[in-house]
Amino acid sequence: MASIWLFLVFFGAIYAKIDTGLLGGSLPLQNPNFQTNGFDPATSTFGSGEPIAGVSTAHWLGTDAIARDTFARIVHGGWVSLVVVVVSAGCGIIIGGFLGSLVGFVRGRTETIVMASVDVILAFPALVLLLALVSIFEVRNLFVISAVIGVLSIPAYTRVARANSLAVSSREFVTAARAIGTKPSRILFREVIPNVLPTLLAYAMVAAAFVVVVEGSLSFLGLSVQLPTATWGNMINQARRDIKINVAQVIWPSLALSITVLSLNQVGDFFQQRREVRGSNL
Amino acid sequence: MGETVMRRKGLYRSVAFLAIAGLIAGACGGDDDSAPADTPSEEAEAPADEPAEEPAVEAGDVAEGDVDTAIEEEESTVAYGGSISVGLEAEATGLRPWEDTCSSPCYNMMISVFDKLIEMDVNGNYVPYLAESLTSNEDFTVWTMTLRGDVTFHNGVELTAQSIADMFPIQQAGAAGSSAIAAANLVSVEATGDLEVTYTLSEGGSAFPATLSRAPVGFVFEPAAAAADSEGFSMAPVGTGPFVIDSRDLDNETTFVRNDSYWATDPDGNALPYLDSISFRPIPDEGTRLDALLSGTVNAMQTLRQGTIRDARNARDEDGADITLYEFQGNNVGGGMYNVLVPPFDDVRVRRALTHMNSQEQVIEALGGTGISLPGTQWFSPDSPWWSEKVAEAWPKFDFEGGVAILTEYVNDPERSDGKAVGESIDVELSCPPDPTLIASMQVVEQLYTASGLVNVTMTNYDQQTHIGIALGGENGFVGNHQQHCWRWSSDDDPSVNLTPALAPPTAEIAEAIGLPGVVSPLNFSNWFSPTAFQAAVAATKTDDFATRYGLYESIMLEFADQVPVYYSGHTATAIGTESNVLGLNSWHVPSGELGIGFPNAEGRWAEVFISS
Repeated sequence: MASIWLFLVFFGAIYAKIDTGLLGGSLPLQNPNFQTNGFDPATSTFGSGEPIAGVSTAHWLGTDAIARDTFARIVHGGWVSLVVVVVSAGCGIIIGGFLGSLVGFVRGRTETIVMASVDVILAFPALVLLLALVSIFEVRNLFVISAVIGVLSIPAYTRVARANSLAVSSREFVTAARAIGTKPSRILFREVIPNVLPTLLAYAMVAAAFVVVVEGSLSFLGLSVQLPTATWGNMINQARRDIKINVAQVIWPSLALSITVLSLNQVGDFFQQRREVRGSNL
Repeated sequence: MGETVMRRKGLYRSVAFLAIAGLIAGACGGDDDSAPADTPSEEAEAPADEPAEEPAVEAGDVAEGDVDTAIEEEESTVAYGGSISVGLEAEATGLRPWEDTCSSPCYNMMISVFDKLIEMDVNGNYVPYLAESLTSNEDFTVWTMTLRGDVTFHNGVELTAQSIADMFPIQQAGAAGSSAIAAANLVSVEATGDLEVTYTLSEGGSAFPATLSRAPVGFVFEPAAAAADSEGFSMAPVGTGPFVIDSRDLDNETTFVRNDSYWATDPDGNALPYLDSISFRPIPDEGTRLDALLSGTVNAMQTLRQGTIRDARNARDEDGADITLYEFQGNNVGGGMYNVLVPPFDDVRVRRALTHMNSQEQVIEALGGTGISLPGTQWFSPDSPWWSEKVAEAWPKFDFEGGVAILTEYVNDPERSDGKAVGESIDVELSCPPDPTLIASMQVVEQLYTASGLVNVTMTNYDQQTHIGIALGGENGFVGNHQQHCWRWSSDDDPSVNLTPALAPPTAEIAEAIGLPGVVSPLNFSNWFSPTAFQAAVAATKTDDFATRYGLYESIMLEFADQVPVYYSGHTATAIGTESNVLGLNSWHVPSGELGIGFPNAEGRWAEVFISS
């Protein structure tokens, strides 16, 4: 079920992006930013859409405070989460994974310096540090948000990679490689990193759940991507004002966020269990 | 002639000082600490001949969709006894009038324990309250006040003119008091008789009675108790008010009990207050506070949010909740400004076009204020005596095609100020604080602008402090880094308080160009400067003739309508909700027997509140 949900979110996000980016909104998904009660210059009239409306055939999940289709916004909101997750995992695995693998392999002063730096960064409350970094940027687009979250993901991946690198570096096949005179860089790239990578991928699923929550928190606080881009967090934030009139407008994006986080945790746990089994077989 | 010039320069400098001092209050929505506006009278105890009443009534009558709760005599029989609990939106920052910057929640508490020297009656006139009379000399530099006799503080000390004089050095040293004193150009307060106090101003100001109607200078506290323990005074305030502090548990509950020796009576001569005690509980969350009223956890609650007013109305009208809503539409008006020193907003065509393309109705709906908040056309609400129908008619209304036509003219102008090529869209950065209602409203505006095909809109949100800092522009000579910026305008204070600094020279260069080097007002956030408007604003502080002042402020508002440095959404609606058996909020009286102003900015006067049987 978790996989199905994640597939739906992934597919929906890609579909929405293709629709707006390449096909100009010709696919049967409403424009997430179209205000159905908005002004139409062609007819010089305002639309008849109802703000904060309930579920209907025209609007499967109702409309928000300015009469935009909630379903379309949830689907499009998945794109932001998807990009942030992919970028943060990419940054974490590539930079953090390499760094952790390297210091776990070479040890010595390099390890001390790198891990001390990692510890210092991890000592800061993650969300507070993130808020501080995000506040620096005047323009907060998807690239900036993803990059900031990605950079902040690096220390955690470094720590995980280093722990695994230590274990892998003491395995027999690494010792054998050293014994036959293989160059350290070759051992690192051919023996250590490939064995650290599966753990990092499993960790990435769990970390993705955290990243989705973090992005949602930023959006809720108005510090994520700029309006009118739909994100689940900013949908919750904007709907909370009308919670007494239509609580569903808060519930729908909250559900999307919660189920996605739960699914990522489930899938992450699954991969981690598989990794443990494979590791024990080595 | 030379003397005149000197005096004027002095006034301009005082305007600049006022501007700087007022920054702390935060012009963006920081209008809680404000007083109802009206003409000050040379003789405050004799407002009968003022023309203020006529425009006030006319304005209110012609306003469409007026949503204010009427101020009227209570028909129920008053009853003594009982206690009520009031939910406030925040804890009071403190209960020291001279020190603590007081907003609406705080005023509800302070007004229970302190009396004002001057109050506002139902007609919007400043009238004596704890004072018995207030008169000024011809140039408004010396004001003589006579106090009411036989009034004692809660600690038994008698109120005399010396009490007021002794308050002055404490007020001068206080954070809130010092800026208010500077803004009023008040230089000395002397006891010139047992009950006679003389206020001396360095620059005459006809709006001085307004200063005596608000916290820092107008609220009377026992100076010896304040001097003895300034910190402790916040927990155990001593005033002459209808209630005496009983207990104060910060962030939980502050309880006041009846002052048995209170001086005021109702029009029938019955001693006040009616209630045995009143408690105030800070409940910051709007929904929780309303729920507290609906569930009976509190007997009354205040709100300054139209969304909460809407929910309270729904609870009353649709769910049958047994509550009464006392609604008030103040002068404070939402909207925003264009930074006229930044292209393309330096061209009035762009400002007019954008304003024409901005649908107030849609914006108010997005703000959740439909049927609650009246559309703004000026700095005064239709109930204000300063409201002008002429200005309302002159204000650029929603006219999308008209706006597009004007903007097209600018876009196709080879001399366009933003340096872009002919035919290129203009760039607009639209910024509001990250409040859900403001976010919704700015997206409505963005959709309208984008629909024109002539505007590239970027929307930004910064926290309130950053938002103000961007508009302030301390690092670039107060030009600011904003373009189209959400803002709030005006307050229920005398118009001079907000308008004069907003019209003063915004930058050193402009000040120098008009022969007033060094006179810069950081509170001119839109950076729009008009010599005629500024002169009118200054002239309005030099007369107490309402008709003259009205004409001057109307001329300024008409210039606003023509030059459009600012734009408006709706007036700020506030409300106090009570259980339906809690009566008297809209029927309290000033000592002359006239009805009081009611409950502006959700600030109740609780002395005549009673629980109906």
